[in-house]
Amino acid sequence: MKKRILSVLLAVSCMAMVMAGCGGKEDAPEAETAGKEETAEEATAGEDETDAQEEESGAAAMIAGVEEQMNQALGELPETGKGEKIGILISSTSNEFWGTMKTRYEEAAEELGIEVEVFEASAEDDTQGQLDALNTMIPMGFDAIILSPIDGTNLIPGIVAANEEGIPVINLGPGVDMDALADANGHLDGKITVNFEEQGSTVANDMISRMPDGGKVAILAGLEGAGQSVGRTNGATKVFEETEGIELAATQACDWDTEKAYEATKDILTAHPELKGIFACNDNMALAAVRALQEMENKDVMVYGVDYTSDAKAAIEEGTLMGSMTYSSSVYTKAAEEMAMLIVQGKTFEEPVYLPLTLVNQDNVSDFEGWK
Amino acid sequence: MKKQLGKYSQQIFLFAAMVIVCILLTIRSEYFFTWKNIRNILEAVSYRLILAIGMTFVIASGVMDLSAGSIVSLCGVIMALALHGGMPVPAAVAAGVLLGIALGAVNGLLIHYTGINFFILTLAVSGMLRGISLMITDGKPITKFGQDFIYLGIGRIGEIQLSVLFAACFVLVSVPLMFHMKWGGYVLSLGGNREALVKSGIRAGFYRVTVHALLGAAAAVVAVIITARLNSAEPNAGMNMELDAITAVVMGGTSIKGGKASIAGTALAVLILGVIRNGLTLMSVSSDYQQWITGFLLLVSVLISEIKVYKIKALIK
Repeated sequence: MKKRILSVLLAVSCMAMVMAGCGGKEDAPEAETAGKEETAEEATAGEDETDAQEEESGAAAMIAGVEEQMNQALGELPETGKGEKIGILISSTSNEFWGTMKTRYEEAAEELGIEVEVFEASAEDDTQGQLDALNTMIPMGFDAIILSPIDGTNLIPGIVAANEEGIPVINLGPGVDMDALADANGHLDGKITVNFEEQGSTVANDMISRMPDGGKVAILAGLEGAGQSVGRTNGATKVFEETEGIELAATQACDWDTEKAYEATKDILTAHPELKGIFACNDNMALAAVRALQEMENKDVMVYGVDYTSDAKAAIEEGTLMGSMTYSSSVYTKAAEEMAMLIVQGKTFEEPVYLPLTLVNQDNVSDFEGWK
Repeated sequence: MKKQLGKYSQQIFLFAAMVIVCILLTIRSEYFFTWKNIRNILEAVSYRLILAIGMTFVIASGVMDLSAGSIVSLCGVIMALALHGGMPVPAAVAAGVLLGIALGAVNGLLIHYTGINFFILTLAVSGMLRGISLMITDGKPITKFGQDFIYLGIGRIGEIQLSVLFAACFVLVSVPLMFHMKWGGYVLSLGGNREALVKSGIRAGFYRVTVHALLGAAAAVVAVIITARLNSAEPNAGMNMELDAITAVVMGGTSIKGGKASIAGTALAVLILGVIRNGLTLMSVSSDYQQWITGFLLLVSVLISEIKVYKIKALIK
């Protein structure tokens, strides 16, 4: 009998050691990934250093240009060195885009001399988990919170709670449903975003410029109701519908899910074998569409995505992906943190601040070495 | 005394693990052991606990129900449509709960009368119900309900959120229901010793249907809480929620073969998983760890009960 109790105690202490070990290594995985990313960046930079020095400075100049535009939009720059503590809530690092954003947030914070902590949900559709994370952040003593909700309404109770505590809330990227927020007596203190419709329309315009004879196109949308997906779909749809000779054959919601995008591509191609172009609302889905096309040995369909992930970059260089919308994530995150600092320092923002956008396609991809 | 300790080894393990996790988190984060954070943890686990309690009864009766998450989604969607159609909040909630009970009862009826394996059957039902949610909503979330409804998800009485009160009610009612009433006894023997139950002339079908109806009701209450909280009924709501519930129930010491149940164990398991989720967020550690830890806890917890069985067998020899 004693042995039984012993075995329980043993299991408990084993458990404790694991937990302790886990806690101790808290920062290790992030540091590791950050390190990997850096070496990867250095490697790509190194490769191109010999023959692409000018191009790299070209990308750096582009970033500086975007930052200049951004600073004008912000109006003024915050005082640095006050060590503000800012909490950041993203969607989920299971999408590489948000993983990069997390790194950029941390880099920008170092540059600005502030303290940030980045939180996330366990998956890109875990709406409740993201709300739980926000509720957890509220008592942690942040001077401001920057958040990017999974859908329009899921974070509203948490935003209201932050309002009650007097913590300024800045919304970056996908929007909070303002009517529902107002109904709940909540408010945002700032908003910085990209114009999602512009992402869709820019892609659509580039696509039809490559279709002199017109033809059929299709859209692979993201999660229904998600701000990015709705905006991008609407922007592209408008351009397609207004252009003579272009027929929008299908718009299929694939919930940011690569498997669904892959299947949808095959289904759409079966129904419309003469399809000329696909616009997927993010790169993960675009690359799934590319895989489906390759499997069907179809080389006629142009695929565009959004986010310009490293896989998308490789695919554009390879010539399997036609293009992807991007913006400078380093400028984006830095501007959001500057906005948060300005708000903490007493400035108010009535209107949303928009980030300048760029399309990378097969013609200009070589200019984008070192872009971040 | 020693016998008692042996009987509750899984719960003792969970309790000890929770104490240790709490101590570690208190040391590592100044925010962990604050009332606001504890309140957050309780609010985050409330709905998971409700579903897990319902699942405890079903597993105690010797089967599992893989459709619970889909019932959550469909009940949420139907309530949302009722509210948008102008139905008053109490009526819409009642409709949702009745639907949950009905769907649960149908599961029970199908399992009892068709004899199809419960795993396959509820998997099929799950797919159908999720499909209906998606068809009704066209895949889009239905959003924006009045403040009266939202109150059910985030309203507080004093410091305590309604969802936490609902969960507490479920726990308080389920203990006497399971262990001190005839109904609970028959549910347990439905899992542990079905033949004896049938031979003694008890209508097994009645208990099979009612135990699933109870889980359906729990799923509907979960639907009320999450739909109100997120101000949005999503066809994808409750995805994999039944698996989380089953994990917690088994971790808590309820026998997967039925016949033996622990409400306290289920509650402890749900709580410790909630504390770990919260702790990882507080320390902004990637949520990838959570899955690993959940798996590890489940394994160790079940191992402890298996070691027990093995030892008893050795003693008999």
